[in-house]
Amino acid sequence: MAKTDNSFANPFDIAAPEGAEGWESLYRYYALLSEDRRAFEESKFWFFDGMHNPDPLYPFDTIMTENWWVAVSQMSSRVWALPPAMGIDHRIINGYLYVSPNAVTDPEQIAERQEYFAKRAGHYFENWDEIFVNWKTKAQDCIDRLRAIEFKPLPKYEPESSITGHTGTYSSLEMLKDYSRMIENMLEMGSYHFEMLNLGYGAYLTFREFCQSVFPGIADQSITDMVSGIDILLFRPDDELRKLSQKAVDLGVADLIMPNRSPDDILADMATTNAGKEWLAALEDAKDPWFWYSTGSGYCHADPVWMTDLRLPFTAMRGYITAIRNGEDVRRPLDKILEKREQVTAEYRELLPTDDDREAFDSLIGLARKVFPFVEDHNFYVEHLHHSIFWSKVRELGDVFVAHKFFDTNEDIFYLHRHEIYDALYDMIIGWAVGTQPRGETYWRPIIAERRRIRDALCKWTPPPALGTPPDTITEPLTIMLWGITQETIEEWLGVDPESATELRGVAASAGKVTGKARVISEPDQLYDVVDGEILVCRVTAPSWAPVFPRIQAAVSDVGGMMAHTAIISREYGLPAVVGTGFATARIKTGDMIEVDGNIGIVRILEEEAAE
Amino acid sequence: MSDRPYILWLDDPAASKNPILGGKFSSLAESTAAGLAVPPGFGITTHAYRDFMEAAGLVEEAARVRKACADLDPEHIAKETVALIHGILNAPLPEALETAVRTAYDALETRTAANVPVAVRSSGESEDLAGASFAGQYETYLWITGADALLQHMRKCWAGMYGDAVLSYKHDGESVISKGDFGICVGIQQMVQARAAGVMFTLDPITGDRSKIAIESCWGLGEGVVKGDITPSQFTVDKVTLKLLKSKISHQTEEYRFDTESGGVDLFPVNDGRQDSPCLSQADAVALAILAKRIEKDRGAPQDIEWAIGANGDIAVLQVRPETVWSSKEAKPVLKVTSPINHVLMRMSGGGAKG
Repeated sequence: MAKTDNSFANPFDIAAPEGAEGWESLYRYYALLSEDRRAFEESKFWFFDGMHNPDPLYPFDTIMTENWWVAVSQMSSRVWALPPAMGIDHRIINGYLYVSPNAVTDPEQIAERQEYFAKRAGHYFENWDEIFVNWKTKAQDCIDRLRAIEFKPLPKYEPESSITGHTGTYSSLEMLKDYSRMIENMLEMGSYHFEMLNLGYGAYLTFREFCQSVFPGIADQSITDMVSGIDILLFRPDDELRKLSQKAVDLGVADLIMPNRSPDDILADMATTNAGKEWLAALEDAKDPWFWYSTGSGYCHADPVWMTDLRLPFTAMRGYITAIRNGEDVRRPLDKILEKREQVTAEYRELLPTDDDREAFDSLIGLARKVFPFVEDHNFYVEHLHHSIFWSKVRELGDVFVAHKFFDTNEDIFYLHRHEIYDALYDMIIGWAVGTQPRGETYWRPIIAERRRIRDALCKWTPPPALGTPPDTITEPLTIMLWGITQETIEEWLGVDPESATELRGVAASAGKVTGKARVISEPDQLYDVVDGEILVCRVTAPSWAPVFPRIQAAVSDVGGMMAHTAIISREYGLPAVVGTGFATARIKTGDMIEVDGNIGIVRILEEEAAE
Repeated sequence: MSDRPYILWLDDPAASKNPILGGKFSSLAESTAAGLAVPPGFGITTHAYRDFMEAAGLVEEAARVRKACADLDPEHIAKETVALIHGILNAPLPEALETAVRTAYDALETRTAANVPVAVRSSGESEDLAGASFAGQYETYLWITGADALLQHMRKCWAGMYGDAVLSYKHDGESVISKGDFGICVGIQQMVQARAAGVMFTLDPITGDRSKIAIESCWGLGEGVVKGDITPSQFTVDKVTLKLLKSKISHQTEEYRFDTESGGVDLFPVNDGRQDSPCLSQADAVALAILAKRIEKDRGAPQDIEWAIGANGDIAVLQVRPETVWSSKEAKPVLKVTSPINHVLMRMSGGGAKG
């Protein structure tokens, strides 16, 4: 990799990996680097967004990245008019998403934006609770409308009702409208996603910054514990599993769950007894909405969802059943958690140097606690419930294409960009209306095969953490908080040779030091390969990976800061963790003996697994 | 018991905060009374010291030395003190005193083991002077066995009151010793071979942050940490959550241990691959922090604590004293916030950290 001391590789010098030549055809023109904008694009600092998109993007899944390209950006640039920041730019390079924050530097412009910002953001903070109540209504309504959309193959003849009802429009137009409704529904939820999020982060981060200035080195978990609610939706799926585990023990059917076998076999055996049927009924009750829970970030269609893949919930239930049989109470002790939260808060408060500080603490924690329910709950509404249903609807449409002989499987739909699907649908309608073979029956198969081959080749490439020209300073709060990118990270990335380094530096995210065998995970599916006592090495984790955490002894990720899921979940499980190492999945191979020092943020490769 | 006892045991109900034990030892007695794991021992009280000085006819000479040395440079002090120190080391001990010390050592042997090794330390009245820590100014003798050796080192502690470092110790620019006729207690305490030992503060000594417990630790006896000739490993524990936040392991090539051949404490190489491994486990650090938090709560102010961990993992408290640096500073507010919303808006706008 061509690299000088003070700059990352030029994004224009990045060659396509072998076998992935022509990868650009998977993506739209506006998401690609171009010679026309070369000088501008070379001058920017681009960092890899492995946190949300660890794998090469499927063409259809760019709806998620294209959504936040606009939805996050417009909040800073046009809605709040955040004084120091415009939006966050995107480019797809070798299939991977690189992003670049766009700062405002002109003092006059900053002053102008200041006035808008104070008034607008002030309005939201002052009316926060009421706005949040309305937000939930909007989100729920959006989800209900998404659920109502159905895709079915076009009928041989229009139904009688079209005639007797004099509708004048038919299945063809309905199909197009439903598709547009689904896409717009996704963009609508994508907009709600960020309506309050940046302000919520802002209030939380201001409290966090205060805690760090008075208590240098305080663990992030302690700060989160002080503001976090106990009744948050994100805990509900897990709570349901705890209840179902208890019920399985009470009904005497837990032995059917315990052996590690396919969920279908378990369900079939359950159905043979009355107690088993009672348990199945409880499972069905819990599933909607709580099993619309993604095992990934929710941004990728390939992330398994509990609703359609019961392996992860059954794995978690096995752990709870074992605990129950050992005499533990697996219910979350809400009273105790609340009492602990109050006690921890009171103790820190007491340790502040002066009464002025106690006053500042009280008022900042008050605002942080006010905004935090949104910060915590939006995640369930948006990334889990809505997006999981969205992916299932897209598959339903994929089935329609299969029925019309365009595709071989409903998964093929993800190799088309959403705008291409509109074309394909129109093509399908033409064939249906005219009664001839639509062009799409032969057009798409070779394209999909080629794109699958290219994407598989892109998977083998490791995206460097950053490209282009590093900025003088990093001030954009999301960049620092969410992606963990600071001046130090940039310097560290500049100094590492990813081919040969035996020591990787990252953010010390959870204390402790252990040595063990690495298990490199690049797709959620590989989670089932994890062997007890291994060290998880991944690009990034998602909250729903929680069930594997009791089995590993440490976690290492390529990307992420102190707010990243890997960091938070590791602290929860008391496991050492180093996040934001940049190159761990590139450098470490499954089976390597590695040492993770979560106290200082260093991962050492002690012994490499012999090459196969 | 006489109302001017020569011996006062750490676990005697009258010992806690009793000035005749001097600062260090009365504080240890307080810790003992609070139920902390303080190794057993007794103080040879300030009465013993005063009666000896009286009997030996050294009271006036001592007063002269204090006055004469108040403003002398340290290098001229030794000439003034030579006769006094000779007297302290050689004048006959009052019989009652000698008997009391021997009887007490016998009793300690009965409670622990024959020929029990003890630490012999000065514990001065002057330590109570607000803000004066006298850090490292007084004598400590380790691994002393037998009553004869004990008596000899007791005299050395007394004589140590007139060492050049103590006489010239200044606090806020003033000689401390010349301010009065301070007595001294000699503390006798069972010694245990430590696997690891060190000091801890119930605040971060660098920032004054009271939410931290800062532990410095080394392999072997803690003398190296106290003296500063061994670079300790550092552990920071959150006082509220009792989670280990940070540890910095230092490379340790030598440790202080008792040498059975020479009968003293000496430096030995650190072996068995321990040189780069942490001298405290995470559980040790947390156990120490729990202890420190409890001691601070009992005492109602930040403390500086010396401790040791025995081979069996038991923690012993060797010394507890008030933290003097941050506790004497006036606290300044870090942040004033009138409106949390305005403050958040200002921070999100990139505005200054204060306000």
